[in-house]
Amino acid sequence: MQHVTRKKLGAGVNLTCVTTPKFKRAVLRAALLLPLGGPDAALRACLPQVLRRGTARLPDLGAIGAALDDAYGARIETTVRKEGETLAVGFLSDCIDEQYAPGAEGLTASVVRLLCEMLFAPYLMDGVFSPDYTEGEKKNLLDRIAAQKNDPRQYAPKRLTELMCENEAYGQSALGTAGQAERITENKLYTAYRRALDEAQLELFYCGTMAPDAVEALFAAALPARGEGAFYTPAAEIVPRPAGAPREIVEREPVTQGKLSLGFRTGGTSLLSGDTPAYWMFQTIFGGSTSSKLFLNVREKKSLCYYASAQFVGLKGILLVNSGIENKDFEVARDEITRQLEACRAGDISDAEIESARKTLTSAWRTMLDDPLTLERYWLTQAVAGTLTPPEERVGQIESVTRERIVAAAEGTALDTVYFMKGAGK
Amino acid sequence: MSKTYSALRESMETRTLSSGLRVCCLPKEGFSKTFAVLATDYGSVDASFTLDGRRYDTPAGVAHFLEHKMFENPDGNALQQFAKTGASPNAFTSQTMTAYHFSCTDRFEENLEILLKTVFTPYFTEENVAKERGIIGQEIGMMDDTPGWQAFRGLFEGLFREHPARVSIAGSVESIAEITPETLYTCHRAFYSPKNMALVVCGAADMDEVCAIAAQHAPQDAPEIGERHYGKRREAVNELLVTRKMQVSQPQFLLGFKDDPPDEAESRLRRSLLGELAVRVLCGDTAPLYGELYEKRLINRNFETDYSLIPEGAAAILGGESRDPEAARELIEREVKRLAREGVDKALFARMKKAVYGLHLRVLDLPEAYARQEAAALFAGEHYLDFAGLFDTIGPDDVRAMFARWARRDRSSLSVVEPQQ
Repeated sequence: MQHVTRKKLGAGVNLTCVTTPKFKRAVLRAALLLPLGGPDAALRACLPQVLRRGTARLPDLGAIGAALDDAYGARIETTVRKEGETLAVGFLSDCIDEQYAPGAEGLTASVVRLLCEMLFAPYLMDGVFSPDYTEGEKKNLLDRIAAQKNDPRQYAPKRLTELMCENEAYGQSALGTAGQAERITENKLYTAYRRALDEAQLELFYCGTMAPDAVEALFAAALPARGEGAFYTPAAEIVPRPAGAPREIVEREPVTQGKLSLGFRTGGTSLLSGDTPAYWMFQTIFGGSTSSKLFLNVREKKSLCYYASAQFVGLKGILLVNSGIENKDFEVARDEITRQLEACRAGDISDAEIESARKTLTSAWRTMLDDPLTLERYWLTQAVAGTLTPPEERVGQIESVTRERIVAAAEGTALDTVYFMKGAGK
Repeated sequence: MSKTYSALRESMETRTLSSGLRVCCLPKEGFSKTFAVLATDYGSVDASFTLDGRRYDTPAGVAHFLEHKMFENPDGNALQQFAKTGASPNAFTSQTMTAYHFSCTDRFEENLEILLKTVFTPYFTEENVAKERGIIGQEIGMMDDTPGWQAFRGLFEGLFREHPARVSIAGSVESIAEITPETLYTCHRAFYSPKNMALVVCGAADMDEVCAIAAQHAPQDAPEIGERHYGKRREAVNELLVTRKMQVSQPQFLLGFKDDPPDEAESRLRRSLLGELAVRVLCGDTAPLYGELYEKRLINRNFETDYSLIPEGAAAILGGESRDPEAARELIEREVKRLAREGVDKALFARMKKAVYGLHLRVLDLPEAYARQEAAALFAGEHYLDFAGLFDTIGPDDVRAMFARWARRDRSSLSVVEPQQ
């Protein structure tokens, strides 16, 4: 087992440490957890971008860049993530472990300091954010909102969840709306920043060779004190079943290849409810690997697509199927996908499929232990779910999943919305 | 040969088998998974070649088509054989390499056998080739809709007049229609000889065991490999500007500086390191010029830099999204000229070198990337782990000399994907 500790450092501040000698780099994260959507959405998406521009000590990109180069090319990237119905905004960093370079003592401490300064000691002008930085990042945010359609493969599932969950927080974008972004000013942004600091749960993460006590001491030295308060607790609304018959929405876009996305409700199974291990198994058999029903039938047997896969959104309790198809094949592909779900429901699952899925999942979770960035994401999801299940334990949980439980997971799954982005040619 | 790199706390073992196959094991202490890649020194640029005295000019996209077909064999599909052990197999084709790989946490030897058998056993029929055209056609359609890919294609069309790097890796729906089982067999014979290939294993594996399995499954009568043709080389770019129109919200661009390819004696690994360092000094995300372009909103955080080495060609590549690619180009070219003229500030050079070293060190944590880098290095007769030593030989004058080449007339090409309206 990897050594994982989770500790409350103060009011609404938690630190998760994965202590391992095997990597040459360390990964660090500092993120504010807040509710997804709402009137502050665009401001919150804009926030880490403005904070990344300068700190009180290092006021511009040039000064920050020089500090990062000196830390052997440490990277600090902004993150704006949708974790179920929780928004995680902040910074993710990776830097080399200080034993691997001459004169690199104190490198981790300097990165922790910079990370905390970005979040808590920003570059200010007249008590608010720099108007130039705010204006620039507001325009960048507008560009990003407009750019969401550039990659149809990512856009189709996003559009599907918007439509399917239009009355739930999950239907909202982590970036907010263009209308909200248009109204961003340095004053409004600074007010939203103070509010976020007052309300958010702060999630810190470290993966590397350093002992948890030492990491805690570094953060303790770099973090400002925080009084008790009512901090946000992540939550999500799980809708077990579709409200009615499946909806079908077709939109035309000037692209060559059509994109078909299907959204299902899981019958209430999520990371925190229902038979989660059986659901992982069902999702893998249905469309989670190159030996899944979707891959073998929709792609290999019928040559309908280049990709077709199923994704279980555990924090929200939904299942998404995404594929890229020729425009003329919409009905055929949709019917073939639902036919494969029917096969799972009918128990038409071979022993070989079950064992193959078990091995795929086992391998995936064990492999996760080899990548600190994947672990960071995994432990953030755990923090949002409020669970502390390590990947190794998940492996144990699927060992005993039976065919009956897999079939039950499939039976609970119901189609909610079909979204087809129809290529209208160029 | 066994070698330890104590400063990096890494080691490797390498051996060339009697068939000519190069084998390398890179142990990774404490890792759960083992990653293996069998790569051939054959990519999309190797479309024209001479084999047994006859010249072949194969349709665009053959290397990639072969990649798709290699997992299929007379006993079925290797993907399903891997799935039985829980391994994750995959493959990719680049301009310069085709690679087949898997990672697993269990039953490594069995998976290695599946990999070697399937890659060394060509099995193409009219029927399975026709079926694959449909799948690859979908993949081409998907790539056609990807703006970043279109910018990349445009750049190589701009940089090169004859070099096959101009041609899309997957080819086109028209070009793949010309591919027959015979074409595939010919290309397999020309480039899937153990002499042209490398097997790199990263993780827990025993070198002797790996070599024994490889010796058993690699053909012994390894045929001679094809002699490749890349066309007549020109120093100048083909076109200064290439534009395409697509559904994008704002222009995407790639700017390339055509460099002289390394000569026979020059280390390709050192050239890559030098190129990466130079392009980072020029406009990496911590460089002064990056800050300036960012503040003018001529670039955003999606801006990236790279240095590309292909047979008989090399280029520095920079790009991302911009509301005004021409203006970004002007400032970047001006900086190249200044750096060529004035050289690089010593302090800036020192910190950039530290950063590039740190980025390469991190590759050692990534079995896929590490093994791929080692395979590419093996094809050039080098080892990736030598990067640390090669860094010590790079000085500010080397970088300046590179800028001087980029600063020459007609050495840059701009590829832009513009919004449709």
